[in-house]
Amino acid sequence: MKENILIIGGGAAGMEAAAQLQQMGMNPIIVEKSEALGGHVAQWDRLFPAFHPAKDVVDAMLDRVKDVKTYLNTEVTDIQRTGGGFHAVLSNGETLDAKAVVLATGFDVFKAERKQEYGYGIYNNVMTSVELEKFFRTGKDERINNPKRIGFVHCVGARDVKVCNTYCSKVCCATALKQACEIKEVFPEAEVYTFYMDLRMFGPGYEDLYLKTQKDFDVKCVRGRVCEVSEDMDGKLVIKAEDTLFGKPLRMTLDVLVLMCSMEKDKSIDAIQQKLGVGNNSDGFMQNKDMYLGMNDTAQDGVFVAGACTAPKSLPDTIGEARSVAVQVYNYINKV
Amino acid sequence: MNPQIFHPFVLPFVIGMAFVLTYCVVGLLRVIGQLPKDDRKKFWRSLVTPKTAWANVRDLFGDCLFHVKIWKRNPILGYMHTAIAFGWFMIIVIGHVMLFTLKPLEGIEAQGVERMLPNFYYPIFYKFFATETPVFAILMDFFLLMIISGILIAVVKKIHSKIVGVKRVTKFGFADNMIRFALWTIFPFRLIAEKTNIMAFWWIYSIDLCVFMFMLPFTRYMHIPTEALFILLRHAGLKPREPRKGYALAQLYSCPSCGLCIDACPMSVNDSNSGNTSAYFMKKLRNGDKEEAQRIAETCMQCGKCVAVCPVSIESCDIKMSQREAVPYQIHSDHSYLDGYTCTDTSNVSDKKACVLYFAGCMTQLTPKIMRAMKQIMEAAGEKYEFLDKDGGICCGRPMLLSGKRAEAQAMMAKNTELIKASGATKLVLSCPICYKVFKEEYHLEGVEILHHTQYIDALLKQGKLKVGKNDVNYVYHDPCELGRAFGVYDEPREVLENVGHLRKAKSEKELSICCGGSLGSFNLTQKERDEITENSVADLMFNQPDEIVTACPLCLKTFARKSPVAVKDLAEVVAGQLQ
Repeated sequence: MKENILIIGGGAAGMEAAAQLQQMGMNPIIVEKSEALGGHVAQWDRLFPAFHPAKDVVDAMLDRVKDVKTYLNTEVTDIQRTGGGFHAVLSNGETLDAKAVVLATGFDVFKAERKQEYGYGIYNNVMTSVELEKFFRTGKDERINNPKRIGFVHCVGARDVKVCNTYCSKVCCATALKQACEIKEVFPEAEVYTFYMDLRMFGPGYEDLYLKTQKDFDVKCVRGRVCEVSEDMDGKLVIKAEDTLFGKPLRMTLDVLVLMCSMEKDKSIDAIQQKLGVGNNSDGFMQNKDMYLGMNDTAQDGVFVAGACTAPKSLPDTIGEARSVAVQVYNYINKV
Repeated sequence: MNPQIFHPFVLPFVIGMAFVLTYCVVGLLRVIGQLPKDDRKKFWRSLVTPKTAWANVRDLFGDCLFHVKIWKRNPILGYMHTAIAFGWFMIIVIGHVMLFTLKPLEGIEAQGVERMLPNFYYPIFYKFFATETPVFAILMDFFLLMIISGILIAVVKKIHSKIVGVKRVTKFGFADNMIRFALWTIFPFRLIAEKTNIMAFWWIYSIDLCVFMFMLPFTRYMHIPTEALFILLRHAGLKPREPRKGYALAQLYSCPSCGLCIDACPMSVNDSNSGNTSAYFMKKLRNGDKEEAQRIAETCMQCGKCVAVCPVSIESCDIKMSQREAVPYQIHSDHSYLDGYTCTDTSNVSDKKACVLYFAGCMTQLTPKIMRAMKQIMEAAGEKYEFLDKDGGICCGRPMLLSGKRAEAQAMMAKNTELIKASGATKLVLSCPICYKVFKEEYHLEGVEILHHTQYIDALLKQGKLKVGKNDVNYVYHDPCELGRAFGVYDEPREVLENVGHLRKAKSEKELSICCGGSLGSFNLTQKERDEITENSVADLMFNQPDEIVTACPLCLKTFARKSPVAVKDLAEVVAGQLQ
């Protein structure tokens, strides 16, 4: 009989791990709390650095898990270790037994309201990167009305002691530049500014994206943080920032301000995580055994982690981890 | 009269007494000499002004003898202190009365020790507890019992302070421990000496007194004589100007190192930080350890809770500020930008005097919800208003003052004063208590009423200009340090909240409220240490499970929002949400 492997989370990490485990001859079961597989990446229009349609990647992954047993709109409400594995109770009342558990619960987007000085939820024309992506996907957003000047703020809720998130969220730099180019494609006449601390263009093709952003799209990258946002009489946004390369404070009027929100751990898994005995690291993400050879292992035998539940990760990072977790689970089941 | 001049066993006492009296007189002259001229004038005048003179008499008795303020905080400690201080005082007083009534002394059938003493020493070495006059016998026994019970409590406190409700006590060095032992044994030795009438015990008693008095100037017990002077200086309305001179010096010597501020200090939530509390600051500064004193002065958050709980009313926060100002370090500040600011345009307001000038300040600029709420409130109340810093204003000056940079702060304060006066407004409303404190204390804005928005909103409600609905939300109110402890604005915000919802109590309220941890005051607390303070303060506010935390300071708001399990709002936001 094939061994059951419980995978909590049906995003990129969960789907890819399931696909691999199935190929290895095990029986993965995905429990996904939302109404569809795909996770955050399914909400995305195009992917950095090469503007690849997200749908292509998501559809390919969905195709590979079409035979995997999947529970949608379902959460794990209780889980216990039994003699040979785990016994889980689901929110639909069903129970299932599994030899191993893979936590692939991913991340939550930082709530931009928490940085009140950026005015999200207070001023109409402040939006998040997620909302802008939705605009690219659907072409609809009341706030985007032939804007003349658009600004992007990097590191919203990341590298910021004041919101208790000191870590870098890894993907927002490249995403901001990608979105800056895209908005320029839609509104070629608009001026686009990004306000960054450092641009962390670490991956293959990322630096090319950075050069392209400036050369081909004429996006102006300003090194400095935005400190305050207010609204003028006409409902336009007035931002105050500092250009640290010039060593001068600056004020600017914008039509739209986009906040590049960071990743935080999805806390809806906290109760189950606690029952499994998996702790958190200092950034609030799940603690894996170590960051090198034990990146998919936890302090608990038979409990594995993959994807952005342990730290902010890009899509390629996540897929890589999903594949490696499959190997770890296989080795664990076969006592290699 | 006994022909003998005196017995040598009185010598230790006499020498000790002479020493301590000389020390006190020299110290008194030194403190008064160090006062700036205008302060000295103020001091002399206060002594003859009936109001302050009466306050002096009241506090000299109430504070020095009974220590009413300790009773209020902790009745057991209050009794302990009263028992020892007042008991001792009464034994001296009754002893003198007793001898006076027994005159002429020649008539006493002198025997034992008394026979060896001339008149002068009678009040100190007469056998009070072996007297046969019934009234005096009862009184003396009573006060002796009182002192001994006080000492017993002190011994218990030393062994296990938690029994008397104190978590952390001040750690003392050799001298302080030794003089404490000397104090505790004075009365037991005396009792033994009188009862046995053995010369050796009278010697021990006299030497014990000598040790106590010789060590007194170098230990915390110097607070006994100094506090009297401190009370007089305090009532004269002085401010400490230099950390180890004049008025501040009198305060340094008045601190009894009782350590009540250690438990009170928000920083003590982390035990390793309890050494940064005022009790230790005063000790270090007094002992001349300038480096440590400076470090503690810079670590302090200036929340003022130590001052609020201090039984002696030592103004440790002010002394820390004067310590900060005393250390010169270079900063290069460029104030040329100040010229670029022009007066707020109030030309569209016909009656300038009726115009309310609103100053948001830098912190409120970072919390636009408060500014928006204030706008809504002022519009709903039909007020004529103008923003002083709509397009970004000049800092109120408090951060510079907190860094000990008075001259730099004054440049900004002068410009702000000019702008406010030019506007012609008679009412200045502030949303930030940090600004409020500096506007109230350092600005000279005669003819302009300075209000925090809690007071302003409360007044609008009371005048009926503002109508609000009541909801079912349970609020808890956090007193910002610079609004509550600094100015006693406790009732206005609470009354406003009772108008819009239900008020629940925090565990520590009003003058005992715990700093949010975000204070601008501290230079060197780490974020982790601040977070511990914030968590402790939030837990205190959540004591009665409120639905929302309400505060009246943008900095408290931002600090709590990071750690609170429930929504954190400014009072103005809550009111704006309930406008009708």
